[in-house]
Amino acid sequence: MKRILASVTDGKGFDIGLVLLPLAFLLVLSGLPLVYNVVMSFQEVDMFSLGTFARPFVGFKNYVDLFSQPETRPILLNTALFVSASIAGQFLIGFGLALFFSMNFPGASWLRGLFLVSWVMPGLVVGAIWNWILSGDFGVLNFFLRETGIIDGNIFWRSDPHYSLWAVIIANIWLGTSFNMILLSVGLSGIPKDLYEAAELDGANALQRFFTITLPMMRSTIGAIIALGLIFTLQQFDLFAGITSGGPNNSSNVTQYWAWDLSFRQYDFAKGATISVIMIVFVMLASVVYVRSTRHEVRG
Amino acid sequence: MTLQIELNGVNKFYGAFHALKDINLAIEEGTFVALVGPSGCGKSTLLRSLAGLEKISTGEMKIAGALMNNVPPRKRDVAMVFQSYALYPHMTVEENLTYSLRIRGVKKAEALKAAADVAATTGLTHLMKRYPRELSGGQRQRVAMSRAIIRHPKAFLFDEPLSNLDAALRVHMRKEIRALHDRLHATSVYVTHDQIEAMTMADHVVVMRDGVIEQQGRPLDLYDRPANRFVAGFIGSPAMNFIPAIVGEDGMHAVLDLGATRARLALAAPLAAGVAVTVGIRPEHIRIVASGEGAFDVPVGFVESTGSATYVTSATRPELTVVETGRPDIASGERVGLAIEPTQLHLFDADTGKRLEVARAAGVMRFAPRAAAHPAAATFSPS
Repeated sequence: MKRILASVTDGKGFDIGLVLLPLAFLLVLSGLPLVYNVVMSFQEVDMFSLGTFARPFVGFKNYVDLFSQPETRPILLNTALFVSASIAGQFLIGFGLALFFSMNFPGASWLRGLFLVSWVMPGLVVGAIWNWILSGDFGVLNFFLRETGIIDGNIFWRSDPHYSLWAVIIANIWLGTSFNMILLSVGLSGIPKDLYEAAELDGANALQRFFTITLPMMRSTIGAIIALGLIFTLQQFDLFAGITSGGPNNSSNVTQYWAWDLSFRQYDFAKGATISVIMIVFVMLASVVYVRSTRHEVRG
Repeated sequence: MTLQIELNGVNKFYGAFHALKDINLAIEEGTFVALVGPSGCGKSTLLRSLAGLEKISTGEMKIAGALMNNVPPRKRDVAMVFQSYALYPHMTVEENLTYSLRIRGVKKAEALKAAADVAATTGLTHLMKRYPRELSGGQRQRVAMSRAIIRHPKAFLFDEPLSNLDAALRVHMRKEIRALHDRLHATSVYVTHDQIEAMTMADHVVVMRDGVIEQQGRPLDLYDRPANRFVAGFIGSPAMNFIPAIVGEDGMHAVLDLGATRARLALAAPLAAGVAVTVGIRPEHIRIVASGEGAFDVPVGFVESTGSATYVTSATRPELTVVETGRPDIASGERVGLAIEPTQLHLFDADTGKRLEVARAAGVMRFAPRAAAHPAAATFSPS
């Protein structure tokens, strides 16, 4: 008994305890819900069987049913468009801003911090702000586009099926850009100054230095941020709830919003779980990319 | 011989801080110049100005006859070896070497051949596919030098390249860099805080302090005739002994103030009586003799032996250090005599620290501080 106690307070037992504690935490709060969700996607679930775990298994019926629904394809395509456009916009604008602030003009770090304001705001608040900006009749965005002559008539961003998804994408880019910028700024500041000096003496101009030093040195940061972007945009729910609610007619619906809609508005828990499982696969892939790119740090 | 690097009245300000003060320097083609001084003396700033990484505030800077003041680094055609080596971590050794050639649009086959040639001379051939992180400190150092060599630049700039190496490797690389310089007939500017590196490697040593060139010249000239107390104390290891003294009434001897001890020391040439001076004696110019047989006696403080040499420190204030070859039989607390050759004394003005040149004209007890050499006088032929 004494030996076991000694081992727990100072020895192998202590090490095992340190590992087991977070593992138990992860298992209870992440692992079990995840497994439960996967199991549910293979079961028949309705309001009455919700309270029990012993539900009839139906194999891949939920998946087959889901893919035979007419709205599945457009919603998956919407999701792909939402994710890729959001990441592209957030990354490119974020990188541009990070490079801009890396010039270290007076007040640069102060201004860079100010940019984080957009990121710390709750998605629903951002949604509300963008509802005003995007408003068809009196929105600021329409005003600018009209006054600069880019459009003739007002665009009804949120109710026009051609624009509704883009309304959310624009808001999401605005929301995520500063996070991208901060991470990329950190990556940029991690590149030793003397590499640029050496490259300059080796005859490289600014553009050549960017492509031969900055970009390759940022590879792991860029990999990480794209993977994080994929994970975050697939989690983006508030903006859909706040701006379009997936409408009109599913034109701005995406899987994460649809999963919630199926489960908690239509009470089709099995289908909701099924969509979640499909998303889990993508998020897992992104996680692998993220872990790999943060592990492969290229530093001399 | 043509001038490869010329600096005329160069000044550099960082805001109110005056980093380089009126620097005049003329370096002939093929010369190995060492910029040496304590940290913060401006030697690195001067080197970075030559590279174009810092912009000089006033004055003119010429490389191979062309005015460089506003020329960006990439157009100066100088190569620099950084203290950190600054190897591109995401490139293999081969890619590091060929980088400058690829940037200039040299054909791939040609660039690879050039890299192979340079690698063969610096012993990197078997490391070409490695990444910098897989190399040892000495190997990285070689890559950094090879990267400079491959370009055939107008000048090589070295920024304390050996300071990250261990002592044995440093001594080895010292010779290697110098051999490289001789083989390439290159013009090199080498920054170091280590006076031994400067003395052993350079044809021409420039001693700097607080942004000012204190003295420049051949290494042994600096050693034999330091222009002021700072240079005298900086060049040479162990450092020169400095003793405050007053010239005696007859002008032919100095009264040394060694704390409790007052000692009379004969001068080689007369000075004005009563003048306060600082007497400098190099540790290797003092011999230990039996008590009463030298110029004066001192009590022995410490005796340290390295095996080949023995360092004897006197229990006086200021301490005197004596280097004896061999192993004299001396113990701490003993009184010994010190034999000093008057011609090997260095005399400095007690206030200004400038070297006192004794006027040799008979009967005239006059002295004048040696004027700093005109910049043009610093040009000389290597070796």
